[in-house]
Amino acid sequence: MGIDITKMRNIGISAHIDSGKTTLSERILFYCDKIHAIHEVRGKDGVGATMDHMELERERGITIQSAATQVEWKDYTINLIDTPGHVDFTIEVERSLRVLDGAILVLCAVGGVQSQSITVDRQLKRYHVPRIAFVNKCDRTGANPFKVRLQLREKLGLNAVMIQIPIGLEDKLEGLVDLITMKAVYFDGDSGTELRYAEIPPHLKGDAEKYREELIDAVSLFSDELAEKFLGGEDISEDLIHQAIRKGTLAEQFVPVMIGSAYKNKGIQTLLDGVSNYLPNPTEVKNYALDLDHGEERKELISDEKSPTVALGFKLEDGQYGQLTYVRIYQGSLKKGEELINTRARKKFKVGRLVRMHSNDMEDITEGAPGDIVALFGVECASGDTFCGGGLNYAMSSMYVPEPVISLAINPTDKKSADQMAKALNRFTKEDPTFRTFVDQESNQTIIQGMGELHLEVYIERMRREYKCEVETGMPQVAYREAIQQRSDFNYTHKKQTGGSGQYGRVAGYMEPYGDGDYEFVDNIKGGSIPNEFISSCDKGFKEAVKRGSLIGFPIVNIRCLINDGASHPVDSSDIAFQLAAIGAFREAYNKAKPCILEPIMKVAVEGPTEFQGNIYASINQRRGIISASTEDGTFSRVEAEVPLSEMFGYSTVLRSLTQGKAEFSMEFEKYGKVPTSISEALVKEYEEKRRKEQGR
Amino acid sequence: MVKQELIQRSPVRIFEKSIHGGLGAGEVGIISSQSGIGKTSVLVQIALDKLLQTKKVIHVSFTQHTDYVLAWYEDIFDEFVKKKNLENSREVKNELIKNRVLMNFNQDGVTGEQILKSLRAMIVDGGFNADALIIDGFDFNRMSRERIAGAKEFAKELGFSVWYSCTVKSDAPAYDKKGIPLVVTDFVDLVDVVIVLEPRQDHIALTVSKDRDTYNPEHMDLKLDPKTLLILT
Repeated sequence: MGIDITKMRNIGISAHIDSGKTTLSERILFYCDKIHAIHEVRGKDGVGATMDHMELERERGITIQSAATQVEWKDYTINLIDTPGHVDFTIEVERSLRVLDGAILVLCAVGGVQSQSITVDRQLKRYHVPRIAFVNKCDRTGANPFKVRLQLREKLGLNAVMIQIPIGLEDKLEGLVDLITMKAVYFDGDSGTELRYAEIPPHLKGDAEKYREELIDAVSLFSDELAEKFLGGEDISEDLIHQAIRKGTLAEQFVPVMIGSAYKNKGIQTLLDGVSNYLPNPTEVKNYALDLDHGEERKELISDEKSPTVALGFKLEDGQYGQLTYVRIYQGSLKKGEELINTRARKKFKVGRLVRMHSNDMEDITEGAPGDIVALFGVECASGDTFCGGGLNYAMSSMYVPEPVISLAINPTDKKSADQMAKALNRFTKEDPTFRTFVDQESNQTIIQGMGELHLEVYIERMRREYKCEVETGMPQVAYREAIQQRSDFNYTHKKQTGGSGQYGRVAGYMEPYGDGDYEFVDNIKGGSIPNEFISSCDKGFKEAVKRGSLIGFPIVNIRCLINDGASHPVDSSDIAFQLAAIGAFREAYNKAKPCILEPIMKVAVEGPTEFQGNIYASINQRRGIISASTEDGTFSRVEAEVPLSEMFGYSTVLRSLTQGKAEFSMEFEKYGKVPTSISEALVKEYEEKRRKEQGR
Repeated sequence: MVKQELIQRSPVRIFEKSIHGGLGAGEVGIISSQSGIGKTSVLVQIALDKLLQTKKVIHVSFTQHTDYVLAWYEDIFDEFVKKKNLENSREVKNELIKNRVLMNFNQDGVTGEQILKSLRAMIVDGGFNADALIIDGFDFNRMSRERIAGAKEFAKELGFSVWYSCTVKSDAPAYDKKGIPLVVTDFVDLVDVVIVLEPRQDHIALTVSKDRDTYNPEHMDLKLDPKTLLILT
């Protein structure tokens, strides 16, 4: 094996778009000797950064797919997961977070804590990922890492403390002062590969003392020994400080703030030291799986290679050699030729080719250790599947997957595209659980569903580029729902007793709004008026009925169907008879229950210069949005609002023109809300017309 | 209890009676005490009372992140629901939220002029016709005659009332003989109502120091429960 688990780090790089995350990943690869030339994102040399290996990304300059890559830093092994920054791809972010032990939260020294930094930080908190903050772009005009530190404290509530301070800023950025060793660090040579330690420049001595004091004071909470020495005015060793920072960071009660500029090759090696020093190794993170043989009991996993294997397939990619599955090993080891079981599909498989990934290249290996991230070839699986050995039947806790909120009809333009489209969709749905597809039986069109406009656009783009598949798209459709607003009784008899075998069933009871879930069936039958064997038939019938509401044909949610009476016939009652009776009963009662239409409401955050605030407020107001909060600090303001998704189409273009491109927004699904009457009437009319047309054909 | 009853029986009614029907458009009130006595709680209760009557409120905070302000509203609303047994509280709450905007300003970075500009943007561009403005955590050492006059004029023009909280120091005499906070004395003629909160043995007392032209009027028959910080009758 030869890998010392305590020297392994699985880390992610999380950031707001444009904080220079890709450049940073690129530099990390460079300093760890994995690549031998530095390319810029959208570089002038036309090569593009190594991590962004999809053509599409090269053009857009954003990272859509995360790629796992392993690098060596000093005697540490670092698995680096590049996470996408755009909010529409949060499933990718979430998935990567699931397998990380620690993260670098990258912030722009000018922009500071921006809307996506807040989203990303929330996700890191949700998965309890300890983090280092790296203030990047300190070479930019207007850079102020101290302000960013303040925002980390105020906006994100993190106990963020400087462990470095810059020497010069903006175009005068020379290096940094390490507050632990109290030395100045310069990055000399071409591409900053040679570190030079020197005395702190005289004009920074006072500041360095001040920030060091603050640092020691903050970490003294995590080490009694350090606290005693601090109070006694004794010398405190570097090791002791490192240990205290590490302890605080792992407990998520401390966030060390490091600084630099990836673009100018400053502060990257020190950041890598920070990763080694302060972020957890796989054994320091508690991971649990659910034991499927014992009612999903939570079992703690142990990072020990002798235990039975438990691994999670967290990402799929189609490479030149077939399907590639990225796997995080949580317990035991993964050996070539070993037999494992996919616990979701209940299928055994043999581990074939096993590789370590480096962006787009790979090296073959024979075995992966616990805590490691490797990739398998030729395994039939979906992302999120768990692989176990040694007779275990565990599932890693399922990842939180939000329901898609937007859909789009797509039509291939020719026969060849149609074949390719099926291939592409099959692959995308396997890779991304928030991307779904189905054929609408009424219109016979293929529908794709996802988390936002951009999300779907990117997949259509990928079809075109990777599969040479041309499609025409319809208008984006919002995933509406229907619901009832009051109780409504039913008492319905279904009978067909003319010729052949008859059908008979009577179902009585009521439906009512149900706040705690989508659907609930309650059996209140006393005295066997409906025989026991047909109770589940009623449930089935109702379930069928809620699939399409009568207002606009969307699924009905938040409803409880209760049956308390009925009748049967000794010969003519059957499963199907009671299913049909329930459907009939449902339709009879539904229109009397004040049905209404619900629409997805998005939580929208807009950030931009305060001067455009009026425009931003107005744009939200025009979109039936409700502003819930706004925060201003001088020149910058952030507005939070709830806006219906149907009103958000094309918002990015509108916002750009309203604010000279200086504001940006992010959004995520928040809840379903009732559609106002005027709009609901229009939707119903449209639906009825569509139905008439279809029937007229 | 249904919403209508809750409004009628609210201690805020008595509160308003003691100051002759509450504040009208363009009027300014100040609630003063040392820190940690319950000013924010009283402001939130005044705001919730307005919200229950489907009036619109802008809650401006200078010290607390909007999430904290949100938590105040949540907690006090939940206390209401518990105490008064409010029916379909979930729906009531969803309705309330639509009529409330939280705004947070950094007092060091944002000028008084800019604040008025932002408020105007919210009311005019954002189409949010506020009935009341709640301003919590403003540092009265920065207040000047011009500034409060400007705020008053603005409130009159756009037709809303304003409640400020004012924190006084605990280690020095903070009030003049009439019970007006010293930081306010210079422009007290522009302030319509001043209410002081004082901790007593087992409760917190609300005293009116100024009601329009009257100084030290009748004692307000209201107190705060020190545990929940709710106004008791």
